[in-house]
Amino acid sequence: MQKILERSHISDRLVHVIFFVCAVLLIAVILSITFFIGSKAFIIFFQGVDLRTFLTSHHWDPTGGSGEPSFGAGGLILGSVITSVLAVIITVPLAIGTAVFFTELAPKSIVNILQPLIEIFTGVPSVVMGFLGLVILVPFLQKVSSPITGGLALGGYGWGAATLVLATMILPTITSISIDALRVTPNSIREASLALGATHWQTTASAVIPAASAGLGTAVVLGMTRAIGETLAVSLVLAGSSFPDKLFTLATFFQPNVNITMLIARDFGETSGISEDAYWTLAFVLLVISFLFVCISRFLASRSVYK
Amino acid sequence: MSLLQEVSSSLPLAEDDMRIVALRRVTHRYHVRNTIASAVLWIITSLVMLLFVSIILKLLIDGASSLVRISFYGTGPDGIAKELFNTFYILILTELLLFPISLAAAIYLIEYVPQGRLVTIIHFAAETLAGVPAIVLGMFGVLVFSGYADLGISRLAGALTLLCFNLPLGLRVCEDALVSVPRELREGALALGATRWQAIRTVVLPSALPGLVTGLILTAGRIISEAAPLLFTMGIFNPANVFTLDPTLASDTLTTRLYYLKGPGAGSSSLSYTQETALAAGIAAILILLLLLINIGARALSRVIYRKMTAE
Repeated sequence: MQKILERSHISDRLVHVIFFVCAVLLIAVILSITFFIGSKAFIIFFQGVDLRTFLTSHHWDPTGGSGEPSFGAGGLILGSVITSVLAVIITVPLAIGTAVFFTELAPKSIVNILQPLIEIFTGVPSVVMGFLGLVILVPFLQKVSSPITGGLALGGYGWGAATLVLATMILPTITSISIDALRVTPNSIREASLALGATHWQTTASAVIPAASAGLGTAVVLGMTRAIGETLAVSLVLAGSSFPDKLFTLATFFQPNVNITMLIARDFGETSGISEDAYWTLAFVLLVISFLFVCISRFLASRSVYK
Repeated sequence: MSLLQEVSSSLPLAEDDMRIVALRRVTHRYHVRNTIASAVLWIITSLVMLLFVSIILKLLIDGASSLVRISFYGTGPDGIAKELFNTFYILILTELLLFPISLAAAIYLIEYVPQGRLVTIIHFAAETLAGVPAIVLGMFGVLVFSGYADLGISRLAGALTLLCFNLPLGLRVCEDALVSVPRELREGALALGATRWQAIRTVVLPSALPGLVTGLILTAGRIISEAAPLLFTMGIFNPANVFTLDPTLASDTLTTRLYYLKGPGAGSSSLSYTQETALAAGIAAILILLLLLINIGARALSRVIYRKMTAE
């Protein structure tokens, strides 16, 4: 009896240690990602590239394929930021509208049928979405934009297509998180508003949505995080190799262009030396941006009253 | 006198009437707004759902001609047998690593430590890790697993990178499954004199089984669909000896093949443009089919397990 007890206690302690190690592994992974990428991120700045050129110039050619190597990542960062922000702006009204419909308006039978559809769609591989953008969106945009681009052969690729593909990809993400955020707002809020004689829409617009605003904000930020890190879908429809010269024209959106993730996916595997280091700096930029977004979403979540 | 009376009594009445009319108008306006808002929401949702359904249908229809072609499932240049095998290989290898680790971490967080600083830190780490872009994880994987750990470009390096990528999701689904087990079950087991581990093994884990199975299948969906971490760690090669269990082999999966086919490798294979597009459409369709299968399977399986367990 004593022995059995002892043995079970020993195994209890042993698995305790194993479980602890597994849990701490998560911390170890994120710390080592930060450490290893961070340790490679600043090499280029000790090799004569100054930070201002990196952030503001938009001539990116680290291998020096056309003359001197140049490390202007401004265009890439701009590409990532503009496509993500536009995608979020397009998506948010649709996603929150759908979420409101699901939680406030729809009969239960419709919700039961349609919600699995959203969940399934969240998992559609990004490369499949990119492929679809390539065969449907790009030819369409080429036709639509030909008066603007002057019938460019590669017109249709670029920021416009990337934005639309991103919007489609983050739509289910933002929708399902928004649905969760709206569902956790207590019914008493709705009842109080309805009891005061408000219509359904008044209740939704001035009671439920404000109450869920922190959760909805989290949804938007997480959608943004996904958009800025999205790689394969975007790189299939961007198809550029350098930043276009003329920036602030409408045609910029409909010609081959670049962003951070696309260039990493395309070129990182074939580089070495200082040009490889430049890609580590890009990765670090992405890491910092996504970390900031996570912090914002955490901050918003901590402000929300209903969890 | 009577005139004055009439005036004084009729004035408030008129005011009341006006008030009622005004109120009616306001209510009417609000009701119209309500109707408009509902209509707009109906339209938005229908459009969004129509978009989802049409995308899935479009992918399936475009790929149908490839899906019924027999050579599509062969090992030729327009076949996907190697990639299909490798996708399942990497799925199983990753799941073998991922599921025990995330379950163990979830057990630790739910059953062992009290809510406190450590739990907060681990959750923060998980959220941060979940936010790391897939491509950055791919670079990390090629640096650490392929480089420092000397695994080279291999299936094992790919699986380890996917492990890092999916840990946050794995942890969350396992935590959800464990949290749904009622407290009383644990208390009952502990009151009978079981150690914590015995209680977990014999009471908590069996009750959490439906949730765990669903979670397992959901992470499987993510492993199949995410290609960016594999791009550098597993390569885009397609060796002839792919049908082995050798974990040091470099080989492509369905998703990386699709990316290479339409991205950097477009036009470089022996296929014509139309063949290439047809192959890509076929791969996309088969990925969608796998995804549908996984989702429907997860739901059905967890329902079956749940029914079996509650019936016994």
